[in-house]
Amino acid sequence: MNRRILSLLLAGIPAALSAQGVPPTPPPAGAVVPAVFPPFQEATLPNGLRLVLVERHDQPVLSVTLSLSAGQILDPAGKDGLADMVAGLLTKGAGNHTANQVAEAIEGVGGSLNASAGQDWLSIQADGLSSHALLFFELLADAVIRPTFAAEELDLLRRQELTSLQAEQTQPDAIAERFFYKGIYGQHPYGRHPSPESVAKITREDLQAFHDARFRPSGALLVLAGDVTLADATKLATQAFGSWTGKPTVVPPAPAPPARLKTEILLVHRPSSVQSTILVGNTTFPAADTNYFAVAVANRVLGGGADSRLFRILREEKGWTYGAYSSVGRPRGIGTFESSTEVRTEVTDSALKEMLNQLRRMGAQPVPAAELDGAKGALVGSFPLTVQTANQVAGAVARVKLLGLPADYLKTYRTRLAAESPARVLAVSKAMIRPNASLIVVVGDGAAIYDKLKTIAPIKIVTPEGTPLTEAQLTAKTDLNLDLGQLADREDTLTVMANGKPVGRQITGLSKSEDGYQYRENTEIQNLVKQTTSVTFGADGGMRKLTQDGTIQGQAIKAALTYGPGRVQGFASLTTTKGPQTTVIDTIVTPEVLDENVLQGLLPAFRLKANASWTLRVFSATENRIRTETLKVAGVEKVALAGGEVEAFRAICSSDNQAVTYFVTTASPHRVIKVAIANTPLEFVSNK
Amino acid sequence: MSKTALFLVCLSLAAAVSLPAQEPGKVAYETYQLPNGLTVVLAEHHTAQVVAVNLWYDVGSRNEQRGRSGFAHLFEHLMFQGSAHVAKGEFFQLIERAGGSLNGQTEDDITRYFEVVPSNRVNLALWLEADRMQSLAVTDANFENQRAAVKEERRLRIDNQPYQAALLDGLYGVYDSTNCFPYAHSTIGSMEDLDSASTADVQAFFHLYYAPNNARLTVVGDFKPAEIKALIAQYFGGIPRVDAPPPVVCTAKFNPGADVRRVTDKLANLPATLQFYRIPAHDHADTPALALLEIILGQGESSRLNVKLAREAQAAVSTQAGVFGTRRGPGVFATIAVANQGISADSLNTLLNAEVARIGSEGVTDAELTKAKNVLTASVISDRQRALDIAEALQHAATFHGSLEAINTDLTRYLAVTVDDIKRVAQAYLRPDNALILLVSPGGAS
Repeated sequence: MNRRILSLLLAGIPAALSAQGVPPTPPPAGAVVPAVFPPFQEATLPNGLRLVLVERHDQPVLSVTLSLSAGQILDPAGKDGLADMVAGLLTKGAGNHTANQVAEAIEGVGGSLNASAGQDWLSIQADGLSSHALLFFELLADAVIRPTFAAEELDLLRRQELTSLQAEQTQPDAIAERFFYKGIYGQHPYGRHPSPESVAKITREDLQAFHDARFRPSGALLVLAGDVTLADATKLATQAFGSWTGKPTVVPPAPAPPARLKTEILLVHRPSSVQSTILVGNTTFPAADTNYFAVAVANRVLGGGADSRLFRILREEKGWTYGAYSSVGRPRGIGTFESSTEVRTEVTDSALKEMLNQLRRMGAQPVPAAELDGAKGALVGSFPLTVQTANQVAGAVARVKLLGLPADYLKTYRTRLAAESPARVLAVSKAMIRPNASLIVVVGDGAAIYDKLKTIAPIKIVTPEGTPLTEAQLTAKTDLNLDLGQLADREDTLTVMANGKPVGRQITGLSKSEDGYQYRENTEIQNLVKQTTSVTFGADGGMRKLTQDGTIQGQAIKAALTYGPGRVQGFASLTTTKGPQTTVIDTIVTPEVLDENVLQGLLPAFRLKANASWTLRVFSATENRIRTETLKVAGVEKVALAGGEVEAFRAICSSDNQAVTYFVTTASPHRVIKVAIANTPLEFVSNK
Repeated sequence: MSKTALFLVCLSLAAAVSLPAQEPGKVAYETYQLPNGLTVVLAEHHTAQVVAVNLWYDVGSRNEQRGRSGFAHLFEHLMFQGSAHVAKGEFFQLIERAGGSLNGQTEDDITRYFEVVPSNRVNLALWLEADRMQSLAVTDANFENQRAAVKEERRLRIDNQPYQAALLDGLYGVYDSTNCFPYAHSTIGSMEDLDSASTADVQAFFHLYYAPNNARLTVVGDFKPAEIKALIAQYFGGIPRVDAPPPVVCTAKFNPGADVRRVTDKLANLPATLQFYRIPAHDHADTPALALLEIILGQGESSRLNVKLAREAQAAVSTQAGVFGTRRGPGVFATIAVANQGISADSLNTLLNAEVARIGSEGVTDAELTKAKNVLTASVISDRQRALDIAEALQHAATFHGSLEAINTDLTRYLAVTVDDIKRVAQAYLRPDNALILLVSPGGAS
């Protein structure tokens, strides 16, 4: 029979007709093979270094991993990112070898060497063919005990870190996580995150000090997996690490995360978002808490996979999202329970309400038996898939040790999961999944979603950079709707006054070209400031170029920026007695972002009127960041100039660290006739 | 799984050539055919309580007809939409609830489906594969739904990612569409072709290629052979064979002359240069030398492109080099670099050309060749630990070398390569008149 016809016939026909061949129902599970967790061996060196070995000789491969209590939580205040940088540099030169020599040595034998920092621990791993075990140990011991922390490697790594932090600022899920952890953990170190400022401050001395304090054998864990015996492993470890001594410094206990008694929303306003990223969750318990098993089962029911409730309802039934999940965060200390999704803007509030409903349901109704069995089946069944190779087995054993779990944890893991009952899952869910005491972070277009979200829970608004916003600022226009016809060719001279006395002058100028404008500023204040600035912008008001040159209090400053499609690139440098410090700038900007130097030149084009306000996003080359500023017309008043009184709008532009008042003539064409800088005695007053 | 199962696997230049080993790393297997032509390969592997079920159909984008590009991949999506005894969505659910993982992937030459399950559920994976081979539910609704999903996937993976359009243009632009359509169009296909496909086309495609005599079933892991053989005979034995599909025809033209094109990419922030060189089919005698050259030029911190372009000249932020995909027809060796700030695509391309030319003029060192052989040997041995990796290596040996035993012998060909071989293949293939070069500038009209 033609197979196409056969298949058409078979489709939809009750199974009984196809008795021969494929049976109509899925075959039942075969007998469960007794859960045998692969055995492992342990030893401790005299210096306190613990050793775990998963011995397996079927293939001549070996991995060696050393974990140290040197995770991100140990970054000193203001130096967030230090542990990551230490890890990154361990493989970039150590002992007598340069970075290139280390790479050639390990890759030359077909192996690999990698280090990374986690929240609690820093780990470094060498792996490859077991015939090179000695080399693995030599490279590891060099990297861990004798890292070089070469200045040029630090510079290279710092640039890479800054680039990846900038990239994070464009990713709504990364933004959401950062605010979520900061919010739920408060002062607890799990809430911290590197920033461009903290990464810029990290010095070679910081790396060395962190290394001296934290890189000690006592309490460290050396894990071997593969083709080696315990006797050989101990011998190799003793040769490499035997002379290493000491204990890491004692770290004071972390402050407890803040108690949260009600649910709040933190809205991260991202005007260009077409989607909203939603993250809901709360803190839970330390890794060793035995509630973990019930929470793991609850998580699988709620959002652990594609057959879980959040995915089924939000995606399959409602079609609101590509995916919706929940997860259990399990560091060594206090962990988290989180649920997340990304939905199109219009359904943000509906999706959030549905998520909260599903979270409440977990603590209100027992999970039906079949659904619970499916969830437990997935968790119990997938365990063997996670421990196929010696390396995977060793990783599982290491996690048990590093998280401080009981010795029988892996042996009893499957039976403990399987033993969780609907009643216990309900009770534990009620205590540990807390939709009425959660933090909700929503990253999205605030103007479109604020009104609907505020009916769900109390709400605060911030920019992606963390600046608080008011409700009014949300709806304040970011489309500046400039009246560029107000910009005519002109030149103005302003006298710089300090406490009423002239101390310098500023000449400003604007000229129009075929395809845009140039604003120039030339400022001299006694022998303190001498600076020229030029900003060009297009006929559409979009930024094109900044050049700035001069000296401030004897330090040479220089900046050059090019604003391209979606990006600003260039540099800012400051030359002190120690030599030039240059910041390379390469940041994502949206078209409405203004250069911080252009405002005085552009203000005449704003459609100023009483009580009008704007939210401005302003890029600062010297700070290498985007500031959110509020421009508000506070009133109209007379300003005394040499030629008489002139009526002017008083417009205040304020950011988190600065406020400047501009006086702009009410008469067209508008011009800026006076500028006052808050908290300084300085005023700039037009000569006419 | 359609969402994660991506043809893009083929785009990953880092993908190691999956090469078999001799000693150690030897794989014992047995093979036989069912009367309906289904080839079965079994290999026991008892280090974990896991079984991999791996089914390769001998169909990929190279089998597509003009105007129907993207069909093989679109079809792969439909394989998860239900069959006679499996409702829509149930395939995922049954495997997930058993604790298993699954995927499907479409390449130029083949389409693979696999499940990795705890050993007591191997019967479930076999049953699911047999049911869809026998009775896939090709309906208008499923077809429309998955066509939309594939278009969304194209937007997500290609149309919204920097450099991807240039990568596809290069990889499939080196061979000319008139003489070699099979390797002159992408696996993801064009939006126009996807739009013009009909349900009847899909049914015809299923009939032509999804038959036992056009597939190889490989099962590796913790099972008892007698039980597995009985299950395979029961589930797959009754599925009828069909006529052999038409042959794939491609006449490749090498060294047609230098071809440098300038393109803009509005998603890119930095310039890039992408070079594509024409090379022979995977089973050619020069493949081992090219694979080792891939490691020397482009793999790891100590690779030439990373050391010279990224670390020393600081002209590139990232570099890659290597053989693209695995084909029974003519292939592609690509070298790619993304520029650092302030470096133009042209000056980066000059540096990249110099490094490539240096291989042909000066050759490589003994140390570099030894390193490359060690990397390759370690990766082959490392790939003998997991059931799924072993199953893939068996499929590879049979499909691309025409011999399962290649899994145990092929490494010797690689270990026999000399520094002169590397120099020779660089001179033969990595030459300007054999290259298509794309110079990418950021920006451009949207």
